[in-house]
Amino acid sequence: MAVSTTSMAVERQQERRQLFRPGLVFDALAHAYIWFWLAIFALPFLATLFYSLQQVGGGGWSLDAYQYVLGSFRDNLILSFETTVATIVINLLIAIPAAYAIVRFPIPGKSFLLSVLNMSLYTPAAVMGVSLVIAYAFLFHIPQTLVGLVAAYVVGTFPLMLVPIIVALRDLPGVFEEAARTLGASRMQSFFRIELPLLGPGISAGILLTFVIIFNEFLVTLFIAGPATTTAALRVYNLTRTAGFQPSTAALASTMQIVSFLVVLIFFQVFGSRYLKGTYLI
Amino acid sequence: MTRVQLVNVTRRFGQTVAVDRFSADIADGEFITLLGPSGCGKTTTLRMVAGLVEPSAGTIVFDDQVMNGVPTNRRNIGLAFQSHALFPHLSVARNVAFGLEVKGRPKSDIRQRVDEMLAMVELSDYAERSPAQLSGGQQQRVALARMLATDPRVLLFDEPLSALDRNLRDTLKYSILDLQRRTKKTAIYVTHDQSEAFAISDRIFVMNEGHIEQAGSQLDIYLRPQSEFVANFVGDNNPVHGRVTGFVRQDDGSRLVEVTSGAVRLLAIDTGGLKQGEAAVAFVRPETIEVLERVEQSNNPYVLEGTVEQVVFEGPTVRLMVDVDGTPLLVEVGGLTRLSLIGADRKRIRIWPREVSAVRDRTTVAA
Ligand SMILES: Nc1ncnc2c1ncn2[C@@H]1O[C@H](COP(=O)(O)OP(=O)(O)OP(=O)(O)O)[C@@H](O)[C@H]1O
Ligand SMILES: [Mg+2]
Repeated sequence: MAVSTTSMAVERQQERRQLFRPGLVFDALAHAYIWFWLAIFALPFLATLFYSLQQVGGGGWSLDAYQYVLGSFRDNLILSFETTVATIVINLLIAIPAAYAIVRFPIPGKSFLLSVLNMSLYTPAAVMGVSLVIAYAFLFHIPQTLVGLVAAYVVGTFPLMLVPIIVALRDLPGVFEEAARTLGASRMQSFFRIELPLLGPGISAGILLTFVIIFNEFLVTLFIAGPATTTAALRVYNLTRTAGFQPSTAALASTMQIVSFLVVLIFFQVFGSRYLKGTYLI
Repeated sequence: MTRVQLVNVTRRFGQTVAVDRFSADIADGEFITLLGPSGCGKTTTLRMVAGLVEPSAGTIVFDDQVMNGVPTNRRNIGLAFQSHALFPHLSVARNVAFGLEVKGRPKSDIRQRVDEMLAMVELSDYAERSPAQLSGGQQQRVALARMLATDPRVLLFDEPLSALDRNLRDTLKYSILDLQRRTKKTAIYVTHDQSEAFAISDRIFVMNEGHIEQAGSQLDIYLRPQSEFVANFVGDNNPVHGRVTGFVRQDDGSRLVEVTSGAVRLLAIDTGGLKQGEAAVAFVRPETIEVLERVEQSNNPYVLEGTVEQVVFEGPTVRLMVDVDGTPLLVEVGGLTRLSLIGADRKRIRIWPREVSAVRDRTTVAA
């Protein structure tokens, strides 16, 4: 007892001394540096947010602009959501088996295959837009439809889903599958019960990347979307071009930004605790 | 309740022959060990029994069922990995339950069996923990509970203790043996640690470059090594290359062989039917060489005289390098005698090698 009391006293003394150590100035500078860059990153968004809160005609603050978000913008937001979710689901359905095959089986010309699959990542969006218009208009006759839009998104973002899952699968030791198999699990059982949950970090990263990109995508959308398939991002662009930058447009833009931010935040809260703990992501 | 037979089992990886015509007949309930240096094919052999690797040739039989081509999950085996391989996203209890769940056992049965298994490895209080929250030894015990939960026919172990520290290894190897004895299951245990192999096996298979060098009991392997490889791999040995110069019949009827190399005359157990005048190599265990006082055994022709070249005090033993007319012999002395030998450099001493075995000298024959 006596010993621990003394050692506690010593610790407290050390703490007090630490408050005045010369490293303090450096720490303060380090914090300032971090906050400076955070401010730079967040500034454009904050500016839009401020603008969206301006009273129309000047003078004071108001939430008036946001009434449009729930009004005429609502359909655009819902469409954005629908297309994003659909794309994510399709991406997952393709990318998981594809990654499994690429990592686990010997495939001739694997690196060539991967380069082709990743093509959309290094193709300029405008080039892709044109290519998709040509392909969809003349080959599949699905331009300007919802199917066409989702198909375009899948083509564009599939590698974003594939690559993290490949990386996660490669890092996943084969011993877990083997252990499951020796315990009597079939290939399917061992995949769904053991490997898939352990791929959580890769899959989560893929979902997150796809969401962030698709929800805010507009360049390819510009080419492929029709009047009935105007996503929120495209609407912001269209409005800015035709009517100038109104607070109502800023409100839509801010809403999208907030939604993206919240989704990322919630995603990390929900999935983070389950799958990402101990990984590099959390 | 399973007899395991391997008949000329061979596995090639490209040009490498990882396992070369491995044959073994393992009795029901027997505990055998595959012992050998790194890369000799132990893991590959074990994985073929598990069905994780298919043999290039040969047959694997459980009782009277040929196992070739039967997928791992239908072989009903238990495999303990070097890394415990516990599923990191499942609790201890769910790990143990896994094998029963995939087999579709009723929930209440599963719960009961899991409790039983965790009690057996004395980890009942840890059921809801995640594997990451256990110590290395506890993790390996959960892995044992997991592999025993489904009541497998054959237990397979691939160096399950090699990642643990020494004390833990010593206690856990006896836990493994105890579990195997209690469940009366056939077991194949892979290790490159000879003390582990000697402590727990009914029979040891010494492997080298994919093939079996020798299979037998601890005594066979230690006292009657059938090849230079086994003699050198298991324990320390002094190899002495010489010729067969005679035979001595013992009181119990067994025949010893005399191997002579210059001034060194040795009486050895003959493990390979040696003939008079043949080139032979004798193996002298350093710890069985007696250091004699001047007067003892003065008319024994197998007592050698040599010069102490070097003395190393190792605590429980003293190791002497003794030169007998140009033949160096390592001598290991324990007990109180060892203390009298400290500082014996350059002295003449008399030594009597007691445990010697001899095999045909293939290197000389080839030359
Ligand atoms: N999948 C594989 N592909 C190619 N070669 C392999 C493969 N598995 C094993 N080998 C080779 O087969 C030989 C035997 O390997 P194995 O893993 O069975 O040895 P081991 O006795 O278990 O060694 P260790 O004590 O180091 O674990 C080695 O030469 C190894 O390189
Ligand atoms: Mg091995």
